[in-house]
Amino acid sequence: MSSKEELLQRLSDGVVDMEEDDVAEAAQEYLDAGYPAFDGIMEGLVDGMNRASQLYEEEEYFVTDVLLCSDAMYAGLDILRPHLPEVSNDDKITGIIGVVEGDTHDIGKNLVKIMLETAGFNMIDLGRDVPLTQFVERAKEHNADFVCMSTLMTTTMGGMETVIHLLEEAGLRDKVKVMIGGGPISQKYADKIGADGYSQNAVEAVKLAKRLLNIA
Amino acid sequence: MLTPKERLRMILDGQNADRPACICPGGMMNMVTSELMDKVKVHMPEAHNDARQMADLAKAVYEEGCFENYGVPFCMTVEAEEMGAKVDMGSHVYEPHVVEYVIDSVSDYKRLTPVDITRGRAKVVLDAIRILKEETEGVPIVGNLTGPISTASSVMEPVVFYKELRKKNQEAHEYMEFITEQLIAFGRAQIEAGADIIAISDPSGTGEILGPKYFKEFAVTYINNLLDSLQDEKMGSIVHICGQMSPVYKEVNEVHSSALSFDSIVPMKEAREHLKDRVLMGNVSTYALEFGDPDRVKMLTRGCVKNGSDIISPACGLGMKSPLANVQSILACLKEDA
Repeated sequence: MSSKEELLQRLSDGVVDMEEDDVAEAAQEYLDAGYPAFDGIMEGLVDGMNRASQLYEEEEYFVTDVLLCSDAMYAGLDILRPHLPEVSNDDKITGIIGVVEGDTHDIGKNLVKIMLETAGFNMIDLGRDVPLTQFVERAKEHNADFVCMSTLMTTTMGGMETVIHLLEEAGLRDKVKVMIGGGPISQKYADKIGADGYSQNAVEAVKLAKRLLNIA
Repeated sequence: MLTPKERLRMILDGQNADRPACICPGGMMNMVTSELMDKVKVHMPEAHNDARQMADLAKAVYEEGCFENYGVPFCMTVEAEEMGAKVDMGSHVYEPHVVEYVIDSVSDYKRLTPVDITRGRAKVVLDAIRILKEETEGVPIVGNLTGPISTASSVMEPVVFYKELRKKNQEAHEYMEFITEQLIAFGRAQIEAGADIIAISDPSGTGEILGPKYFKEFAVTYINNLLDSLQDEKMGSIVHICGQMSPVYKEVNEVHSSALSFDSIVPMKEAREHLKDRVLMGNVSTYALEFGDPDRVKMLTRGCVKNGSDIISPACGLGMKSPLANVQSILACLKEDA
């Protein structure tokens, strides 16, 4: 039988190597051996995903690779998560994420969501082509700490500014940080519309979220 | 004095013209703004479905001194819609976009409807090109195609598509061949109808998403299949690829188009260094075009020329709210400096 360390390594390597089936198998063996699910997630799956994002940052891995790594991670999570001690999502920092109305390009958004979830944030995914008022409604409903918006198109980026105004009108602007990203977006645009931050890619988005929310 | 068509032909052939050309192809590279539509009283979304209106709007782009070409269509959903995807036609400010996919996996591609160029919006586009061909001269007509990767990821969920490039590699290639055949049929029909140039935009097939290996294996391969299957009698072809080029300069140099176009994240100077012998197009920031002023646009235009761009164009589709005065300053600047 494999030791805990060996199984954690297998979980982590499986994520990095995009081996969805092996990760699921290793996660089951890990549980059967009686090891705690929490460690399996943090030291196995999340460790692997962090290694994958490191490779992404170094341009060894690209978006398609990271998507497959995250599939492997989620395959493991599906098995380990039900065995976690109950923790309510209320304790977690919650973010709303979506692609603004008029645009359906959501690869970048999905990647940012995966990275933020890996980093421990509770992410509410509104999907793509999201009506602008929905960002505000859902932020209110979930008592969100931050809102992430993306678009790949110049024609739809104006929607981000509208959401910021809507947050102001709803009296929520002081309570939520606003992060934006996507092809035509820049720090300059973020400054112009009064967003709290811009990040160029998913790894940067995690750093940005932590900085904005004062998380070490 | 060269006509815009003669000038562009010379540039695409690698000859020295009197000055750089000023082009915005259409398709993903939207060149229509709200102000322009108000001025000529032709509006989207109606113009997406009506050849007469489409041609009139395309004409307005040249006649109002924005760019030295005509181009249709004004979106990148025609091919996907003809293959069965459900498209929301957008509004006067939003472009049409796909809201419902057709298939769940690359292996299901046989369920797609082949593009029928005699009906639907494919026919609208071809009719618009015929109108432009008949009613104008001296200005190049650009027919736009959505790139193979972008089309392939418009009729199914892109995340699944990207993963299946690896997981179902063989079937993904069969799927891409089918998609490319549809684009070839549409592209050839555009040239027959009178298009001088074919512009292919493939924003979903970036080096950043795919990485060099898959960029070459899928994006470059099928863009080249498409280019190589178009008639020779056209004046030339333009390929626009989004995102950073640094991981894939070598691969991008293998694309068989007459010109290569990049978005504003790629410094023109860097592109010129890596692609010494290529005709390059780009890349005036669409941010500056929407939020800057004519002086800023002129400064950026001069920067593009200085850094080696042969055809000056916006770096991406124009934002609908871009002031006409800003858009017009690219061409005005080139004329001033000539």
